[in-house]
Amino acid sequence: MAEKVMVKGNEAMGEAAVRSGCRLYFGYPITPQSEFTEYMARRLPEVNGTFLQSESEVSAVNMIYGAAATGTRVMTSTSSPGFSLMQEGVSYIAGAELPCVFVNVVRGGPGLGDIQPAQSDYFQATKGGGHGDYHMIVLAPGTIQESVDLIKKGFDLADKYRNPVMILTDGMLGQMMEPVEFPEFVEPDDLPTHSDWALKNAEGENARIVRAFNIDPVELEELNIAYQKKYRKITENEIIYKEYFMDDAEYMFVGYGTMGRILISVIKEAREQGIKIGLFRPISLWPFPYKELKKASEGKKAIIDIEMSEGQMIEDVKLAIEDSSRIHFYGRSGGIIPEPNEILDVMNKIIGGDNNV
Amino acid sequence: MMKVQKSMFEIEKVRRVAVFIGMFGSGKTEIALNFALKLKSKYEEVALEDIDVISPYFRTRDLKAEFEKMGIDVITPEEKLIHADLPIISPKVKGFINKENYRVVIDCGGNDDGAVVLSSLYSTLRNEDHDIFFVINPYRPFTDTVNKTVEHIKRLEKTSRLKISYLVNNSNIGNLTEERNILYGEDFAEKIGESVGIPVAMTVIKEDIKCGNTRFPRFEIKKFLKTPWEV
Repeated sequence: MAEKVMVKGNEAMGEAAVRSGCRLYFGYPITPQSEFTEYMARRLPEVNGTFLQSESEVSAVNMIYGAAATGTRVMTSTSSPGFSLMQEGVSYIAGAELPCVFVNVVRGGPGLGDIQPAQSDYFQATKGGGHGDYHMIVLAPGTIQESVDLIKKGFDLADKYRNPVMILTDGMLGQMMEPVEFPEFVEPDDLPTHSDWALKNAEGENARIVRAFNIDPVELEELNIAYQKKYRKITENEIIYKEYFMDDAEYMFVGYGTMGRILISVIKEAREQGIKIGLFRPISLWPFPYKELKKASEGKKAIIDIEMSEGQMIEDVKLAIEDSSRIHFYGRSGGIIPEPNEILDVMNKIIGGDNNV
Repeated sequence: MMKVQKSMFEIEKVRRVAVFIGMFGSGKTEIALNFALKLKSKYEEVALEDIDVISPYFRTRDLKAEFEKMGIDVITPEEKLIHADLPIISPKVKGFINKENYRVVIDCGGNDDGAVVLSSLYSTLRNEDHDIFFVINPYRPFTDTVNKTVEHIKRLEKTSRLKISYLVNNSNIGNLTEERNILYGEDFAEKIGESVGIPVAMTVIKEDIKCGNTRFPRFEIKKFLKTPWEV
């Protein structure tokens, strides 16, 4: 039946990957992401795919590196400490310009942290994580349906730019269930073959090399300049964000993912109290919608950034808006999610002129 | 095909220990919470036992304080380990199953791993008067066909070493659920019941959903496990 189904975020992203033509998954279970790994273990054999549980995230990322070098859709999912382990490989993949998709179902950190939802891996996702001048494309869904849609988009962007893509979500969106409609199946045979560079079907042709290595500094710089040119193109074309209740807003919230969703509930309540407040929700965290956020902030009396962290995206909000006197931040960490009433209190204090929040 | 007796299930007839099992996300916890509340309205001593070592979020233990206020004994891992991602079963679980003055509701984890945990209670449960309910939502990925669901039932019975007494129709697609979805679930559960020879005990309906006559006794539930934006 072509009806919506009830799906957990983790399962939904797995099914979306299968329907996007992904037939390779290498990974290691970690709470609150493990249902993803389990789903793929069960699902991929049904579509002649390969699921492989690696002995650690370090080996998983290197399996992805190898598979991506053949131009075949490949992915993994993990949660915060697991993604930290993958950083060396991510840098190599970015350097070798290989398409693949990572999903980080973020939990509280640092260190082993806990298993509750958090947004404290924003810096790691958007500002590098691994070494070198590279960027992943980072997309942050706010609903399970959007998680499904962004997985598909993520694979397409990875192929289009030969660049790793990260879906940055959190334990809440991974664990909760919601009705979802899945896209049609894309058959692997209909996907881009990358026949000009991929390490396959090159019999009789010149040898191809995929690497993130050049011993000549002049040539390595040229390579870096080429990466930057690609990153500028992505920045020009792939910004995604959503605005809510902004038409008449005097104040605005900025929040992404789960936090953006909670802020919509907060705004509905605030508007009942007569406070005209809106929301700017970045969906592409890299490239960050600097210009769009600046434009949205024009004329707003206060801009309140709320995060499930001690303040990470706030740095990009400040870079975008520049006028720091209007910018406020409130965050909770360690896996605690700010509650709607708590945010309403913060909002009322800020609107009342209290800067000590 | 086995002949199944038409269900005449009534909550008054449920045996002293009621266990809820099923696949991931079938709605076991929500039903167990509501079932414990319903029992509390009829019996003095009610215990709700959380033996779900699989789910990291949306667990019975998250409602511990709220349910204890209503006079229900909620059995979970001890406080300092309540957030640990470890398979802990409190020794009190067996203790309460053995208390003859108590009505006991057990919220078991999903899938085969949940059934393994239940199997560890086999020697305790087999001596006590118990019913095991298998919860089905046909809108979930792993129970969307009769054949798949029948396979799961057989496997979970084998793993837990216990016999499922009843099926529960919890057909829903969250806030989009309509009457037709619930009724589709009744047909679905009945077909499964005929195949495995297990009667359908009830049809679960969220209290705010309009649904006319159901074939099976209706069990209205309130939603306790909420997302942060539903608070």
